[in-house]
Amino acid sequence: MTSVARVIKAGFHTSLQDFGRFGQLAMGVTRGGPADERAFLWANRLLDTSYNAAQLEITMSECRLEFSAAVQLCVTGAATEVRLNNLTLPSWQVFSVRPGDQLEIPAQQHRLRSYLAIRGGFLASSCEGSVATVRRDSRGGLQGDGRLIADGDQLQAAVFKQELPARRPHRELLAELLSKPSLPLRLGIIPSGQFQQFSLAARQLMVEQTMQVSSAYDRMGVRVIAQQAIPWQGEQLISEPLAVGSIQIPADGQPIIMLNDRQTLGGYPKIATLSWLARCQIAQAGAGTPINFYWQELAEAQAQWRQVAQFFHLPRSG
Amino acid sequence: MNQVKLVTAALDALMVEFENRIDRSINAQVHALKAQLQSAPEVLELVPSYRCLLVYYNPLKYSEQQLKQVILTTLEQPLPSAVEATEIASIEVCYDPSVALDSELISAQTGLNTEQLAALHSGSDYWVYTLGFAPGFAYLGDLPQVLQLPRLATPRAKVPALSVAIANQQTAVYPHSSPGGWLIIGRAVALPQLRAGQRVRFVAVSLADYQARTQGQQ
Repeated sequence: MTSVARVIKAGFHTSLQDFGRFGQLAMGVTRGGPADERAFLWANRLLDTSYNAAQLEITMSECRLEFSAAVQLCVTGAATEVRLNNLTLPSWQVFSVRPGDQLEIPAQQHRLRSYLAIRGGFLASSCEGSVATVRRDSRGGLQGDGRLIADGDQLQAAVFKQELPARRPHRELLAELLSKPSLPLRLGIIPSGQFQQFSLAARQLMVEQTMQVSSAYDRMGVRVIAQQAIPWQGEQLISEPLAVGSIQIPADGQPIIMLNDRQTLGGYPKIATLSWLARCQIAQAGAGTPINFYWQELAEAQAQWRQVAQFFHLPRSG
Repeated sequence: MNQVKLVTAALDALMVEFENRIDRSINAQVHALKAQLQSAPEVLELVPSYRCLLVYYNPLKYSEQQLKQVILTTLEQPLPSAVEATEIASIEVCYDPSVALDSELISAQTGLNTEQLAALHSGSDYWVYTLGFAPGFAYLGDLPQVLQLPRLATPRAKVPALSVAIANQQTAVYPHSSPGGWLIIGRAVALPQLRAGQRVRFVAVSLADYQARTQGQQ
């Protein structure tokens, strides 16, 4: 384990994330992990690194680092390009840096989160089997106490002798990954939770109007603005376990999509759960993004996830 | 046969819903089912709450239908009714108004003085219904009727760590400082790691004892 880089400018919300902290939900400990799993998993895959290796999740602002070792990196997610010293390089591609090199991951306008991966993963002591940063739970990160990445932090990683080729996804796929998403975003949802107790009208309202991502979003959840509120006529719920991707409907009828840092129990009725791809898409959608939900069968959503899991060698889902 | 409803919760999780009430015997069934399913190879992770058990599985290997079958087969046998945990976790609590931030409010609403509140709150054993909200936050119940009071109209921005709080049927100890709307009736000396389905007893200590025990910790 060697110090390979120093953070010059961390940005507004940059955190260390591996695939997440599993097996502790019954103790009230949430998962954490990358909000956009697709971008995260691609970066590790291109670097020939375990799906679970830790990366930096960089949210909405510029991040700058200086390297002190020869290592290989890959940036995916929101960033369409990065700057290495004075050179502009494409994202979604493995590249090498030398001691003294400065890397800048620029702030993005259209998407929220970029991922900086290093071959072998960034190293930190794990907390209950994971380094995933969850600020609210005081877990994970470089110090193990849930702190975000800060200016001046030293990043540790293994150094490899043999270099990997500069790999990237094949051309058509890359074009798709880099293209600006067509709007409104189409997000697949499967009926779940209290779906059966919602009226037919409520279920139709979920898919028959274009909603908007509000400005209230973080790693816990995303509040969505629905012109026509989703009605719930049932009684108050006794708090029950809450899955990542669930859509809660509070009393005001404005949906809340739960993301990786969601609380483990929730008391609002749930009408649906996002598909895996929809979860990755919403993790990149900023305030004002128009979205259209559409109903998907569970079997279809599972088949889609199985392909993903096989491709990325995932042992389990989020 | 135990009556449950099985509902899709996510593409890798199924919710088992028991009778829709906050009730110790129903909650005991949730934990009994959890214990039964713990070793099932089809099950990845189990999350109990008051009347529900969330069962995570791997959709690479099993279908939702297969999981339903595993759960229903387990439920064909009566769940073990031995709900009384043998081990009782004991938590020392100081009920002095200097640390019981809502002491006055609780006294005003119940007509009981500090000694009476302490005697009442520490006078019965509680049951850990579930953990959640924050790591290690255990929902304990049921409070004596007199202490069943509503939450604060406006939650506190910061509840001190180890505050002992009450709300409706429930009582809890805040493991860390956090926002919260429950009424604070005391402060614990320390909080052991609690598990759902466990029993808990509060033991009243004087302010002098509390200060002596927590010296150097704060």
